[in-house]
Formats: sequence, C-alpha cells, structure tokens
Amino acid sequence: MDPTRHRLRAAAVMSAAALAATAVTGCASAPDPGTVTVLNSATDSLEHAQEQKFFDLCAKPLGVRVRQTSVPADQVASKALRMASSHSLTDILELDGSEVPQFAATGGLVPVRKAGVDVSGMSKSAVTMGSYRGTQYGVARAVNSLALIYNKDLLSRAGLKPPTTWDELKRTAKKLTHGSTFGMAFSATPDADGVYQFLPFFWSAGGDEAHLDDGKGAPALQLWKDLVAGKAASSAVVTWNQQDVNDQFIAGRAAMMINGPWQVPVLDQHKGLHWAVAPIPVPNAGDPVVPPIGGTVMTIPQTRDTGRQHTAAKIINCLNEQHNQVAWGESVNNVPTMTAAAAQYARQNPKLAAFASEVATARSRTDRVGARWPVVSDALSGAFQSVLTGGASPRAALKQAQARATAGE
Amino acid sequence: MTITATGAATAGTRPPAERTTGGRGRGGGLLRWCFVAPAVLYMLAFFGYPLVRNILMSFQHYTPRTYFTGSSPFNGLGNWRAVFSDPLFTGSLWHTLVFTAGSLLGQFVIGLALAVFFSRRFRLSGFARAVLLLPWLVPMVVTSIVWRKLLDQDTGVINTVLTGLHLASGPVPWLSSPGVALLSAILVNVWIGIPFNMVILYGGLQEIPRDLHEAAALDGAGAWRTFRSVTLPMLRPVVTVVLVLGFMSTVKILDLILALTAGGPADATQTLGTVTYRLSFEQLDFGQGAVVGNVLIAVSAVFAVLYLRANRADFGRGK
Amino acid sequence: MRHTSAPRRHGNTVIAVVILVILLFPLYWMVNIALQPGEGLASTDWFPVDAGLGNFRRALSSQGGSLATSLVVALGAVVVCLALAAPAAYGLARFGLRGSRTIVFGTLITQMVPGIVVANALYSAYVDLHLVNSVLGLILADASLGLPFSLVLLRAFMVSIPREVVEAALVDGANRFTAFVRIVLPMSRNALITSGLFTFLFAWSDFMFALTLNTTDDVKPVTLSMYEYIGAHVSDWGAVMATAVVSAVPAAILLVLAQKYVAAGISGGSVK
Repeated sequence: MDPTRHRLRAAAVMSAAALAATAVTGCASAPDPGTVTVLNSATDSLEHAQEQKFFDLCAKPLGVRVRQTSVPADQVASKALRMASSHSLTDILELDGSEVPQFAATGGLVPVRKAGVDVSGMSKSAVTMGSYRGTQYGVARAVNSLALIYNKDLLSRAGLKPPTTWDELKRTAKKLTHGSTFGMAFSATPDADGVYQFLPFFWSAGGDEAHLDDGKGAPALQLWKDLVAGKAASSAVVTWNQQDVNDQFIAGRAAMMINGPWQVPVLDQHKGLHWAVAPIPVPNAGDPVVPPIGGTVMTIPQTRDTGRQHTAAKIINCLNEQHNQVAWGESVNNVPTMTAAAAQYARQNPKLAAFASEVATARSRTDRVGARWPVVSDALSGAFQSVLTGGASPRAALKQAQARATAGE
Repeated sequence: MTITATGAATAGTRPPAERTTGGRGRGGGLLRWCFVAPAVLYMLAFFGYPLVRNILMSFQHYTPRTYFTGSSPFNGLGNWRAVFSDPLFTGSLWHTLVFTAGSLLGQFVIGLALAVFFSRRFRLSGFARAVLLLPWLVPMVVTSIVWRKLLDQDTGVINTVLTGLHLASGPVPWLSSPGVALLSAILVNVWIGIPFNMVILYGGLQEIPRDLHEAAALDGAGAWRTFRSVTLPMLRPVVTVVLVLGFMSTVKILDLILALTAGGPADATQTLGTVTYRLSFEQLDFGQGAVVGNVLIAVSAVFAVLYLRANRADFGRGK
Repeated sequence: MRHTSAPRRHGNTVIAVVILVILLFPLYWMVNIALQPGEGLASTDWFPVDAGLGNFRRALSSQGGSLATSLVVALGAVVVCLALAAPAAYGLARFGLRGSRTIVFGTLITQMVPGIVVANALYSAYVDLHLVNSVLGLILADASLGLPFSLVLLRAFMVSIPREVVEAALVDGANRFTAFVRIVLPMSRNALITSGLFTFLFAWSDFMFALTLNTTDDVKPVTLSMYEYIGAHVSDWGAVMATAVVSAVPAAILLVLAQKYVAAGISGGSVK
C-alpha cells in the first residue's frame, strides 16, 4: 500500500466536494425541534449569562431550550448573511437597530406582528427603530440614547451650570479648559460611534440625512469645528471612539462629554468621580432636543417552519413583559421600550431619568433613508472628519457628502 | 509565506556538478505526480476556487438579498464603473502605494542594518536576535491598540517624551491629522515588519562565504565598498524574497489600519484593504467589494511579475 | 571580524541593548499596563511600581480553554501542511515534471488572495461538508496559511540535496517513496522545522478563519476569544493587555527555542 495514494484520493474527494458545494447550496441538517437558536453580540461572558437567564426564564414554560451564538457586534450582520446562504439562520436574530432595513429589504425577515409578537404599549421611537417602510421587523427590549454627562466637581468649582444652548456650551467648555483638562469631549471617529454622536447636533439644527446639502446641518459642523478650533475640545476627538471619550472623562481630562447610559457601570466604579446627566444643548433656548435612538432589536428570520417562528415570537413576547423589560434594562443600563416599563425604570433609577425621558421622543437613524443608511452614515462621517481636520468648510463638506451618499443612484 | 528565488548571483558560485539534468527517465510518471498532486489539489480548493469566485462576484449584483435568495444577476461592468468613479477609491489606491513603499523601505533598511549588525560576534548577539522576534508574535489587533495608546496626542508616551526633551514644540497629532496619520501607520507597520526582514536577511548573510569578505579586504576595499560590491550582490536572491513577500502582505493590509485609524482622519488612511472592508462588510455591497479585492490581487501580480523580470530572478527553477 | 577588540565588542553589546530598548518598548508598555492594578484609563506610570498579577489571573481564567484549542489547531495545521508540502516540494524539486514552474508560480499567486476572500468562499463549502464548527475544519483551513511558504522553502532546500545520495538508495531497491521518507526527509530537518514553525505561527495568529468558519462557541482559538474579550472590556486596559501577553507566551517560547533552526532553514532555503 502506498500511503500517498490514500492522501491523494482524500484530497481529490475533498476538493471536488468543495467545488460542487458552490452549485448546490443548502440542505443543512434539520434543526432540533426542542431548541430555539439565537444569534447576538453578547460575547462578554457576564452579558452572555445574563441573556441566557432571561431566555431560560421564557423558554422553560414552552418546553424548549435556547442556544445563543454570540459574535463581536461588527460581525453579526455578515455572520447572519453567511448563515442565511446555508439556510442555517437562527430562529431569533438580534441586529443593531440601524441594520434592520438592509435585512428587511432582502425579504428575509418576518413582520413581527405576523409572527405573533405583541408590540402594544411600545414607545413610538422604539417601533420606528425596528421598522422598514412602515412594517415592524424588529423588537427592542431596551434602547439607549446620548446625553451630556458632566463632572459636577469641575463645574461647581468654576461656578458653572451645565449648558443648555450651543453658545453656552462653547462658553462653558472654554472656561472649563485649563492645564491638561478640556472642557468638552465627544467622539468624531469615522464610524458608527462618531456618526451617532454627531446626529443630535445635526438634527437639532434642522439637518436632514436625506438631503445633507440643504444647508441646515452646517451650523452643527460649525459648532464642532469651533469647539476644537477654540481648544475647548482636543483635536484628537477625530480618533476617539465613545469608549475613549469615557476614559478621558474618568481621568479628569474632560469636564463634559457626550455619552450614553451604557457607560454608567464604568463611571460608577470610580467612587471619587461625581457626575450627572443633562440634555444635549440645542442651538437656541427652547429648541427641542432630538437625540438618536440606538440599541439592538430581535428579529425573526424567514424560515420554512412557521411553528418555529411562533415559538420565537412567544419567547420575544415574554422577554418584553413589563417586569422582564425593567430587569433587563437595569442589567444593561438601557431604557425599556414599553412606556409603562420606562416609567417604572425612571422611578427606580433616578440618575438615568434624563435618558428615560428622552428615548420616548428619540429619532431613529434609518427612519428617513432606510436601507441606504450605511452609505449616508459614511458620507456624514466624511463630512465632520474633513471639517474637523480643516479640509473643508461645513457647507462644502456637506455638499460633497450628499454627492457621496447618492453616487450609486 | 516565503517564496524562494534562485538568483544568477549565487548560481555562479555553485559548483557546476550540481546542475544535473533530467532525473532517471520519464517513466513512473503517475507515482511522481502522487507526490505533487495532493498539494496542488489542496491549493486549487483553498485558493483557486475562492479566487475564481471573487472574480465572478465582481461582475454580479451581489447584495444581502443574494444570501437569502441565492440569485445574483450579472450586471456587466456595473460594479467596476461604480468603484472606479468613486474618488475614495483613487485616493485609497494612492495611499496603498505610499503605505506599501514606505513600509517596505523602512522595514528593509532597518532590517538589513540590524542583520548586518547582529552578524558581528559579541555577547548578547544571539539572545538579542531571538528577543527581537517577539513583536511578531503579538496579534495585530493588540499591536494596534498598544500603538494607539503610545501615539495618543494628549496622553501618549511618545508625545510626553518628545515635548519633555523639547524635540517637538507641542503634541504631535500622530493619528488625528490627515497629513501625519499615514506616516504614523507606516511607522507602526515598519515596527511590525522589522523582525521578519531581519531574520531572513540575517540568514542570507550567514550564507555568504567569509573568505569573499577577506579577499575584498585584502584588495584594499573599505567596509562600505565591500558591503556594496560583495555583500549586496550576494544577498540579492534573499532581497527578492523579502521584498516580494513584504509587498504582497503589506499591500493587502487591513486589520492594522482598521484598529489604528479606521481609515481616518478624513479618509487619509483609506487603503484598498479598508475600502474592500467598507464596501463588503459595512455597506454589504459584495460585488463592489470584490472589484476592489480583484484590483488588489492585480496590483500584487503586476508588481511580482515586473520585479521578477527586472531582477531576472527565477521562481521555480529547480532541477 | 574575528579580530574585533574587547572594547569594541562591549560597544556592540551596548548598541544592541539600546536597539532592544527602542524596538521592544511597545511590548514593555504592554506588560507595564498589564501589571498595573488600575485600568490604565488615560495615563500609565512608567514603571509598574505596585505590580499585581490580578490582571493576569483574570486573563488566564478567561482564556485558558482557548489556549488549548489554539494549540491543538496550530499543531494540527503544521501536520497537515507538512504532509502536503514535503512530498510536493520534493516532487517539484527533483522529478522534472512538466508544469513544475507553473505550480511554483501558482503558489506565489496564492499569496495575493486576501484572507477574507478565501474565508468567505470556504464557508459555503464547509457547511456542505459539515466542517463548520469543527477542529478538523479549522486545521485544514489554517494549513493553507503555511502551505505556500513551506512548499517553496522545502523545494529550495531539497534542490540542494545531492542527487547521488537518493540515487544510491534507489539502486539498493528502495522505491521513490521510501527513499523520500528515509533519506530526503531526515536531510531536510532544518527546513522542515522552519516550515513547521512558520506554519504554527501563522495558524496561531489566525483570526479570519476562526471567525468565519465557526458559528458556535465550540471551537474558539485564543485570537477570537481575545478579540471578543477586547470588544467587551474596552475600558479595562489592564485585563486586555494581560490577555494579549498570555496569548503570545506559548508562541514566544516556541520561537525562542527554535530560533537557531529558523535562521538555518531560511538561509538554506533562500540562497540555494
């Protein structure tokens, strides 16, 4: 016997099979009827365990088990697509809210009502976040937004109150800047973080993501530019993600920052740090604050088996009962989406009440542009990056951004 | 990831007896192919098939819907036109070339200098050589995180040292200025690439017969002349290896830049790699992503062929 | 060089130390952050004055299983890679097969295909072959990272093995295969070790295949686990750096041990 022959044959079979596989995709092994599968981004072991606890709670009465697969957040979408191509998509797919339109547009998601999910009592903004073209495909248990978080000690020492308008913001930030401390910190990275932080300023100025070049968003760019040019914020903001911003704030290198409620556990670990939350300043006194809404939503992928879809829907319904929403919201420091649950949450967590009240009216990123959001988001980040680094004026940058956002049409 | 060259330079120094021809007859062909076939089939499956698939994909309308329905209609040159008309693409092509040229130059010059230096005999030489390989072992994602901290404009150690020693008037905006960021990325990549260059060039230096150096010294050549007219020509096949491989791994770089700057600020560090990533994994337009991927492969192929021609190095002679 | 004077040798040692300090500073910084008990948020001390191993303890407890997986996968990849590359390299070096040149140039081409392109294409094939979520699947994929390198390195090395040695064995009645196993392989020891080592390192640091070819947590190498850890603990710099140090240690030990073979294998391969 010649061992090489064996090896040869094995390799030939293997590669032939690999090539044939491109022609006939599909035929994944039949899913186990007693197990409901979930794809999410809970890679942190504590968060994973927490998720599992709620899943178990809701799956037990139905006589099924839940198995989670968790991948890093930026990999969920591509992993889901890969699974879809092999017909092995999970029963519940937890996407970032901004990814829903792209998936819904493929026809691969089931409208949640059709599957039997009860969404009554949910805030309008939460419904919008999970919707595409008027149909709801995703259910958020808890959502987040952004606010102004400030260092109480630094502000009171300077005799300052948290700013409410853009002019106050610039003045206050300037006064708080000395030594190695900047008055203000925000994230302006060319990715989802930076865009998320830019939106409340862009929107409250009247900016429209579908018409970036209508001139209304330019003052928001000017504000960011003024903060950096006036040295009230570090020019390194173009490299800071929201985590970096939080680090700067904790280290006392920023007196105020824009950030979200998910930072609370980290902030709370630092006993010497006294902080409070205020609404994000608006262009003029009395203007409405328009914060963005963010978070993950549970969707039900289209499978041939409607029975499994109904089971998934039942689990989602259970997860969204008021007490479960409140408990979940508290565990991840996000605000529940049921109006009643949010009220209870605000009562129990007074420090986060500011976030709780704003998410009810917060705006969804994909509401206006739908599945085009990733392209628009890219264009928008290009605009603030080039303005902050001195490459373009606000108006010119937005004009360029609009061209970039509509190039494919 | 090394490919080897048989260079004209060393061929001359080999005894001619080595160049036997043919082998024993042409019989027994099947058994001989049994040696080669498994590896060839494996490479066809693991590289050939993906390559072909990527080329096809660049002519298809390949979107998230494709993954659900399996349908990906051909759209001719549509993807190619869209990519080539995007100013971001032209910019990224340029950045890629600058980044690659800068990285290779830095890695090679420093790697060669270290290889020559460590060819001397002194205490710690062997130990130092071994330890210098360590940067190679740290996963890229961690390397970038550490460097992001080192290069931080306000709190980074590098700026602290530079301003402390009055070498810089103020903090250098390493990653936050479009004019500097690409340079910083090159700097980090040079650091990553030094060990590989040093090891291979060091190996090459050890092969150069010592008496050649001594002969040159007897002829009155100085150290620099000896290096230029004896060492470098002898080293040429190894240089080919280092540069060709370096080029191919540098030109497609993605993770380093993604973690270091995410392509910013103001797209100053967008490269073909990051644009592919953006198109395929953020905008989920896999057809256009495939176009950029193909451009990457084409750039590498053109470079490899040109370089090998110019240096008359021959990959794959070997009888 | 043999006549270098003692002061000059000491001078060289000093220069070498300076080079080490500069080039290894980023690594020192990594360890420094890992040893400091705080979270290294925005400023780090120059030296870990009150060093603690708390970060390392946390890192080990979260990465222990993944380290074992990485070890199995990387070693498996080395075996597969050498089993494919060694005979092929010999065949290409010695048999005068038609198309040898094309094959060697083809291996060069493989280096140009971006990893993500390979990973994406493999996924769908793997699903049908039931290789997703399997150690075997990952081993097969990771072997591809070292195969081109090993093939060319070994081929170059085997070209330099005197033909007469093998011919003598053939005359003695051995067939080509036994001659290959008994004579060629032992003589190529250095090059085999070098190829194996490089393949090990490539497989050890693979992230792309680990991410794409697994859909559950059953097979999770240390790179993937670390990436996830970093994603979830971005603000806990100390723990992240400790994790990174821990993940590099096994490979570092191996590299230092095999260092002399690396130089020998490479020089033997690339110049001949």
